[in-house]
Amino acid sequence: MGKFKINRFWSVVATILVIYGIVKWAIPAISRNITSLPFPLTVPGTLVFIYMTLTCVALFALVTFSDEFLEEFVGPIRKMLRGEYTKALRLVILIGVPLILGWQVYDITVPKVQLPSSLRIQHPSSNFPKKFEAMKNPFNEPSKDRVTAFMKQVKADEITFIPQVQKDIDTWKEEADPDHTLQFLPGEAVKKLLAEVKAEKITEATAKDALHQVDLFEGRALYAMNCRPCHGDSVAGDGPMADGFKLRPINFTDNGTIETIVEGYTFWRVMNGGVGLPIEATPWDSAMPEWKKNLTDEERWKIILAEYDLAEKTPRIPESE
Amino acid sequence: MQGIIGKKMKIVLAATGLALSFGLSAPGMAADQPAKPMPEATEAFVEKGREIYMRRCSMCHGLLGDGNGPAADYMDPRPRDFTLGTFKFRQTESGELPTDNDLFRTVSRGLQGTGMQAFDSDIIKSGLSEEKRWQVISYIKTFAQEFGDEELDPIKTGKLVKFPENLPPFSDELVAKGKAIFLKAKCWECHGKQGRGNGQKAFDRKDDWGFPIRIRNVTLPWKIKGGSKVDDIYMRFSTGINGTPMPSFAKALSNEDRWALANFIKSLQHKLTSNQVLQAKKVAGEVPTTPDDAAWKDAQPMDMRLTGQVVAAPRWQNPGVELVTVKASYNDKEIAFLLQWDDPFKDATHKLDKVFNPKDISKVGAYNSYVAANDMIPRALETYRDSVALQFPAKFIAGTKKPHFLRGNSSNPVNLWIWKADMAEKNKSGAEEAIARGYQQPARAQTKEQQQITAKSVWKDGQWSVVLKRSRMTEDSNDIQFKNGQFIPMSINAWDGSNGEHGLIMSLSTWHFVFLEAPTPMVIYIYALLAVFITGGLGFWLMKKAQASNA
Repeated sequence: MGKFKINRFWSVVATILVIYGIVKWAIPAISRNITSLPFPLTVPGTLVFIYMTLTCVALFALVTFSDEFLEEFVGPIRKMLRGEYTKALRLVILIGVPLILGWQVYDITVPKVQLPSSLRIQHPSSNFPKKFEAMKNPFNEPSKDRVTAFMKQVKADEITFIPQVQKDIDTWKEEADPDHTLQFLPGEAVKKLLAEVKAEKITEATAKDALHQVDLFEGRALYAMNCRPCHGDSVAGDGPMADGFKLRPINFTDNGTIETIVEGYTFWRVMNGGVGLPIEATPWDSAMPEWKKNLTDEERWKIILAEYDLAEKTPRIPESE
Repeated sequence: MQGIIGKKMKIVLAATGLALSFGLSAPGMAADQPAKPMPEATEAFVEKGREIYMRRCSMCHGLLGDGNGPAADYMDPRPRDFTLGTFKFRQTESGELPTDNDLFRTVSRGLQGTGMQAFDSDIIKSGLSEEKRWQVISYIKTFAQEFGDEELDPIKTGKLVKFPENLPPFSDELVAKGKAIFLKAKCWECHGKQGRGNGQKAFDRKDDWGFPIRIRNVTLPWKIKGGSKVDDIYMRFSTGINGTPMPSFAKALSNEDRWALANFIKSLQHKLTSNQVLQAKKVAGEVPTTPDDAAWKDAQPMDMRLTGQVVAAPRWQNPGVELVTVKASYNDKEIAFLLQWDDPFKDATHKLDKVFNPKDISKVGAYNSYVAANDMIPRALETYRDSVALQFPAKFIAGTKKPHFLRGNSSNPVNLWIWKADMAEKNKSGAEEAIARGYQQPARAQTKEQQQITAKSVWKDGQWSVVLKRSRMTEDSNDIQFKNGQFIPMSINAWDGSNGEHGLIMSLSTWHFVFLEAPTPMVIYIYALLAVFITGGLGFWLMKKAQASNA
């Protein structure tokens, strides 16, 4: 023979234990490797119940398949009940099993101290005014007038910036004595524009691209002053203030955040902050300020421009206009 | 046959194990050591670095690298001034320049507890790749002439601080030895006996640029800028922190002594609790009324993280209180809370003429709505008081609804239990009950008859302990009532006076919960007993049946 055969009773017990082990521990453990999330995904209680019921039904069908099978399964139980494995063991089982069961019932029914779960809709639309849906960031597509005015400023090298960055630029100019004010600004467009300034033939297209770099620069400065403390240097929702908030600041580099919403929505959210949210979005837990109380429309649009740029994302296209 | 299978199995197992351990350890290895040394700083390479610098760094560090970018004035510690070549976190001897790898480490993992965050693209998606980090470092090095001087190169001159080998692992003996060194080397003169930054020499220290320096509370691991691991702490003792009063102990203490000291500092670090619900402890007799009552030992602690009040102007990003540990104890009639937080200096005076008027920074289009770190408000002793407030909803609301965590609003007011150090000094309690209906108006104290809380407080070794007590139920409709079995929202506002905090310039937490255990309903015991008797009975019946069939 050589084939090792274990008693059907023990194989049934082992099957139940193995399947329970898989559902309860192995699946969550594997889930961590698949999702690479820092926590395991547990199998929901109802699903565990369904799996275990199915297992028991299948095992019952197997055991009652023939009288021989049934006899083999019941044998050890009967032997135990008759006290053939010593009376002490019988006593332990007959008292222990009910006690474990009673404890289980108590454990399931007793009220536990658990954090009240509060589900939250992140991008609620119930009070989102439709007029914001198609709103465009004016700095994404600067008007012809702005570009023309900018070209004049560049030509005369008399460019005005927002006061927040002006001081630093003035100090730099004094110290570095550059050929042109825009020399500090990053971007190929700026290099191209400076070459055009030298050759004295500034084109509108280049000026427009360079103006975009100015807007981004100002937007990044405003972001660093106003938003960075919570949303972080790299817009990852991890600023120095972030750990104090139970509802953490949003990580804009995550998929499914600012790329799933239209620009107008971002503008509306920045404007009205946490307290402007409807109740399904738990406004009481949100630390997002009502920026309309402190920042101008232009400042907020510039910040949004810089934010999408830093996150390397583009906003969702609005529904039919 | 079997041998071959066994070998194959072993290989498979080893491969799986290797893959698993690699996969698991990968996030922890996030590189603060470069894979390759810094490439040659050609003109094109430095120009690429300049572009990155102007995009990602200049807002704080300034176009000239002088640490005067638009966002700089609001941060404490301030962004580094690169022009002097003075760098704090190095693995070189005191006063020396940093190595390229030192700069790489700082750019990659950031300096925790400051505005300088990690820029490693393996940690943060929109961070910088290794090559880009090298590019920006090559540009940063152009700000200080010292980097061009070969005689100052710490590698060529052999000024590196090497990490010694064969150091003993963390142990109680090592910690005890470290503690003795801590006392002997007089670390406590600045850092305080408990490491809370509360030494006599701690206040009013200045850095090389003349900016005030706050001695770090080394018990809060997230505040240790150079890193909270033992190796990092050891390095600080061995290199000193250039530009600050923190000296190097490389000459005064041996390697082993510095290692023991680092282990002692490590042992002081606070381990945060993770519960969001504070389970109040039921006591049979009186609730404890003083902070030193032994009864507090049995109560469950809950750590509440606080941060700067940045929700509304005047905003504040330099919070003085970042952690309050709370306990609660109750009986049938009363409930008492114990609040403990680190505050290096006791501030028990409050000068009303020094109160900041935020109107210039609160309007639309103001330059900035944050309070500057150094010029707007005095961050000095004997100016503002230390204070703390427990905040509850004025009315318990079933479900998840709560007032906004910053003082609620007109339809959802909050009940504040405020304790003020200066009042405590005068009338031995210092507690006041107030109602707030939004942050726009200051909280209003309740009438004399409605004042029902009492307080006992003590400041010791750089730590406040305050007990606030009230009867669980009151007649007042604007008071929270402490019924059993309810998750009662609770949050904290705190003010560190010598950190300039008063009014909305404060530290605060978001909502946590306090829970008074409900007695277990009788029916649950009955269910459990029923289960025991039914299965027990069934078992014995089967036993009888089995024995009968045998006979």
